[in-house]
Amino acid sequence: MRKNKALIVCFIAPTVLCLLAMYVYPVCRTVLMSFFHVESLTADVSAWSFNGVENYAKIFHNAGFLISMRNFLLIWLVGGAITLAISLLMAVILTSGIRLQGFFRAAIYLPNIVSAVALATMWVQYIFNYDYGLLNNLLTMLGLEKFRWLGTDAKFWAMLAAYIFGSVGYYMLIYISGIEGIPTDLYEAATIDGAKKVKQFFSITLPLLKGIIKTTITFWSINATTFYLWSKLFSPVQTESSTIVPVVYLYDTVFGGKGVVTRDAGAGAAVGVVLTLIIIAVYLITSVTLKSNDLEY
Amino acid sequence: MKRTRSKINWGRELRFIPGYLVVGGYVVFTAVMLFWILGASLSTAREIFQGKVLEFSSGFHFENYVTAWQAQNVSVFFGNSLLYSITSCAGVLLIAAPAAYVLNRWRFIGSRVIRYGLVIAMSVPAIMIIMPLYTMAVKWGLKGRILLIVLYIFLRVPYTAIYLTDFFATLSRSYEEAAAIDGCSPSKTFWVIMLPLIQPAVITVTIFNFLSVWNEFFMALIFTSSESMTPVGVGLLQLVNSMKYSGNYGALFAAVIIVFLPTFILYLFMSRRIISGVTAGGIKG
Repeated sequence: MRKNKALIVCFIAPTVLCLLAMYVYPVCRTVLMSFFHVESLTADVSAWSFNGVENYAKIFHNAGFLISMRNFLLIWLVGGAITLAISLLMAVILTSGIRLQGFFRAAIYLPNIVSAVALATMWVQYIFNYDYGLLNNLLTMLGLEKFRWLGTDAKFWAMLAAYIFGSVGYYMLIYISGIEGIPTDLYEAATIDGAKKVKQFFSITLPLLKGIIKTTITFWSINATTFYLWSKLFSPVQTESSTIVPVVYLYDTVFGGKGVVTRDAGAGAAVGVVLTLIIIAVYLITSVTLKSNDLEY
Repeated sequence: MKRTRSKINWGRELRFIPGYLVVGGYVVFTAVMLFWILGASLSTAREIFQGKVLEFSSGFHFENYVTAWQAQNVSVFFGNSLLYSITSCAGVLLIAAPAAYVLNRWRFIGSRVIRYGLVIAMSVPAIMIIMPLYTMAVKWGLKGRILLIVLYIFLRVPYTAIYLTDFFATLSRSYEEAAAIDGCSPSKTFWVIMLPLIQPAVITVTIFNFLSVWNEFFMALIFTSSESMTPVGVGLLQLVNSMKYSGNYGALFAAVIIVFLPTFILYLFMSRRIISGVTAGGIKG
């Protein structure tokens, strides 16, 4: 052990440095900053002035932030329900003995592999395009009128639909690994007892997937709170209230954007802390309500 | 259970029709989208707007790719992304692999804290760290490509270290004992014997690191201060924004294909490994 002391120190030191410099120090500083009036990120600490929960009060009285929070809640709740339901459905289909499973898994996971900027560009410039887009072509073919998918009213839902489409594959793979972990003799016994597939799903698959569902809810919450790229690509030049999300609001407040008069790094930090607290809360709530199955199998 | 290739039992397949429709519909939609983008990248803007993308009445316009690559700087973005991905994949291994080894082989003061720290760091949202990192970068005068490389390395260290720790656990200690008897130093034992033994895990984790650095967007957007250090994601966004003025849609779709291809090709060859890796690292109920 003594001989290995030098080795341990040398091998672990860079990682410890990384943890401290990239995570511990920045997180502490962000939390601290959220309680101070800090105008610019480059301002010296001596120029910070303590103002308690003023930053939090400020953002919760700001119309832009409140709209961004509403959009976030819709993404989290509606998008989450749809994404997790579709991915669970696909996972069940792809573990039911269907042919070409490997191909379907790979094809459905594909959007997670490619650059999200490229993917979002495909949706904005092709699928939702007014003049030559796929959806409007379908509408024309059916003899219907073209629709402005990226108009103010529909834009948010168009964005969410595109995002869901790209996310499904990831959660599907997690559910598949969960379902494949359930012993097949449970299903065989159920089949012998005459339980239909639907019944088997609700009384075997779903209860035994509790732990996995908890994991996917936590992952979805993290992804929904840090939702940024899709909003940026659906409103690339100017932030719009139809697609604004908290991270976009944070970016505009801290780094400046259209319509931001004074930069406010303290308020930005407060946004970050609020979002992190949401993630922690979701994690704790799902941990308590969805107690991992103590069932032995 | 071993799967045997049986003759298609049509009666049995019939029950799966709704299932085929769901997953098949999804795949067909993706395929239509990709083929259209490919077609558009070889068409003129006029053909795109007339809805004649897959007819190629004026031939294949490969010059769209030349325009995108040269005139619109995609070559610069591409080179940068390649540089960031490759150097940070190497750097992250140099830092995380030794740490993973030590964390698996020895208990020492703080080893538990470091392990938990790494797991928590994996789910720390970027917005919590980005502001102080920006301050630090400005204060220490760090800028240019090296800044993004360092950030990407540090961004991937927690995941890589945790992923590899589990794999070192599968190696017997007899390797080290034998090496020690032969007079091999512990450090050399690690680099020459232990690390090569977990090569499959190293390859998988490196693929994931490569994909995530190639596709990273948020940090790149904040820390990119000049055209010469812009990676593909941010570069493509700039192209889309300027397209309103230049109107060269063929070149835009060519740029989309260029950004799309590297990870897509990697996926074609590695999909099995990638798919099994998604759920291997750290996902537990």
